[in-house]
Amino acid sequence: MTNMIRMEGITQTFHLEGMDLPVLKQIDLSIDEGEYVAIMGTSGSGKSTLMNIIGCLDRPTSGVYILDGRDLTTLDDDELADIRNQYIGFVFQQFNLLPRLTALENVMLPMIYADVPRSQRLTAATESLTKVGLSDRLTSRPSQLSGGQQQRVAIARALVNHPALVLADEPTGALDSKTSQEIMALLTELNQQGTTIVVVTHDASVAAQTKRTIEMVDGVIVEAEHSGNNFLPNASLMQR
Amino acid sequence: MKKLDLPPPNSRSRRRKKRRVSLREILIMSIETLWNNKLRTGLTMLGVIIGIASVIMITAVGQGVQKSTALQIQALGTNVMIVTAGAARTGGISQGAGSASTLTWEDSQAIATQVPAAKLVSAFLQRPQIQVVRGNLNIATLLVGTDLNLPKIRNIQPQAGLFFSQGDLDAGRPVAFIGSKVRDELFSTDKSAIGGDLRIRGKHYTVVGVAESKGLSAGEDLDDVIYIPFTNMSSQIVGNNALTGIAINGFWLEAIDADQLNSAQFQVTNILRLRHGIKTSGIDDFRIINFVDIMSAFTNVMGSLTLMVGAIAGISLVVGGIGIANIMLVSVMERTREIGIRKAVGATSGSILSQFLTEAIVISVVGGVIGVGLGIALAYIAAMLFKFPFVIPLWSIGAGFGLSLIVGVLAGGIPARNAARLNPISALHSE
Repeated sequence: MTNMIRMEGITQTFHLEGMDLPVLKQIDLSIDEGEYVAIMGTSGSGKSTLMNIIGCLDRPTSGVYILDGRDLTTLDDDELADIRNQYIGFVFQQFNLLPRLTALENVMLPMIYADVPRSQRLTAATESLTKVGLSDRLTSRPSQLSGGQQQRVAIARALVNHPALVLADEPTGALDSKTSQEIMALLTELNQQGTTIVVVTHDASVAAQTKRTIEMVDGVIVEAEHSGNNFLPNASLMQR
Repeated sequence: MKKLDLPPPNSRSRRRKKRRVSLREILIMSIETLWNNKLRTGLTMLGVIIGIASVIMITAVGQGVQKSTALQIQALGTNVMIVTAGAARTGGISQGAGSASTLTWEDSQAIATQVPAAKLVSAFLQRPQIQVVRGNLNIATLLVGTDLNLPKIRNIQPQAGLFFSQGDLDAGRPVAFIGSKVRDELFSTDKSAIGGDLRIRGKHYTVVGVAESKGLSAGEDLDDVIYIPFTNMSSQIVGNNALTGIAINGFWLEAIDADQLNSAQFQVTNILRLRHGIKTSGIDDFRIINFVDIMSAFTNVMGSLTLMVGAIAGISLVVGGIGIANIMLVSVMERTREIGIRKAVGATSGSILSQFLTEAIVISVVGGVIGVGLGIALAYIAAMLFKFPFVIPLWSIGAGFGLSLIVGVLAGGIPARNAARLNPISALHSE
């Protein structure tokens, strides 16, 4: 397996009221293609900052970030936007759907920026929503959907451009435990189909469902273990 | 598995590799966004609409009133002037206006023969509020004694019958050519008016014709009038009060053409001064009213009035513009999170900026078109209601439209540019 993500000496320092606030200190990290990884840590440990850098939403203060053999530190903002669009799917704790758009329109959004022709967009978005079990809610707006359904729309949106990497930031943080289980099962199934998934969480039970947990404390990785745990190995909740 | 398909750094194709959302796509997306936020869109558009509509309506009303007044003055004739008697003087002391007439029939005849720039001269002697009786009806109207040149100079056409003849004038016959308002008040039809009998100052007059309606001019009803032969007026109604010759109130003069009006005025002044024995330093005992002068004075006044009205309209457009700027600014700030989401799924700063800019342009253009339509409609209604010509100056449409577009683009564009530059993380975390 090749390294999909390789980070060497990544630091991130924020400047607040004239003070330097180091959030990430010399992070070295490798994630292989097809892995299912949890980044765990308490609030303020730097796990979200690390995820933002992995997701090309933010740039590190220093260090080297190589994604699929390509050094990203030299790319400009527009090129990073293209990488987010083509290569990475995001799932956020607060879903981050556009409230005025229907589920279908929300899922079509990344394809607009990928310049996919209109007719193909509709087919692909419908397909993607069907995959997360929402084929009957295509024209619902976020306010008409439950939290779990909204997160499914967000996952459908993350998947629609067929990204190699899905980043989930506290994907179950706003959901009850039963819905959380369903969402995690969905992510597990995606991973089984070959998508590399990185989940950021403070919840050990969420982390336990991944194959590897990276633990962060105060901007440093303290433990990176391959758990080998394969929770719900043959679950097929996506085909409901 | 998808591969990160980026060309190596510094390769020539690197720039070209960037995806760009087509303009059509941006336009569709902008219109969808505007449609999905009808209230916000409507309020912003309202600012544009009110601004443009008020500019167009105000300038149209200004121009319409100006044109209608100009037309009224033109109806009097652009190559016509009127000379009226002033105050009589004895030994340099004014006896007051109307004490004795300073102009005479002989003066008008002298002008007619001695002023080369004059084409037609028509003397008149008139009295206001003369009681006219027909049977048991009676009215008070303006009685004008004149000659056959007056209908030519003032373009008075009969709608029934004829103006009185040279024979009537020479013999001083009691015949009357009546205005259409007088006809309305005293006779039921034109036909019954012709040959009808009127009594003025106890004397009988026969109606020979009815004038076409000329409407109002400078607040005066041109149809509320009776014309009789000058000779009859002078001998039967007024009596002579001139020191020498037959008194008149004044005379109309039509110059050969508009260019000759000033030389005619100069010649008239000289001849009258000579005939009245007024020295170079003396004060004229007559007045000359030149309609071209009145018109140019009026045009000046109206011009500055239109300019002022335009400035007021401009201010209303600026106020409207500030409204647009305000609501656009708020809307962009409100949508910072949306910008974050769009960026996270792959929108570049450029596509965010184009979307917001396109929204601003769509609002300005659509609002502009509605505003122009509304402005024209309101101007039309005002023109119909207050009876002035309906004129829409093209520049007002251009100015209104252009200004709203500029305001819309600046007001929508500047905050959008700032928002587009935001780091996606900060944009996502805004509430």
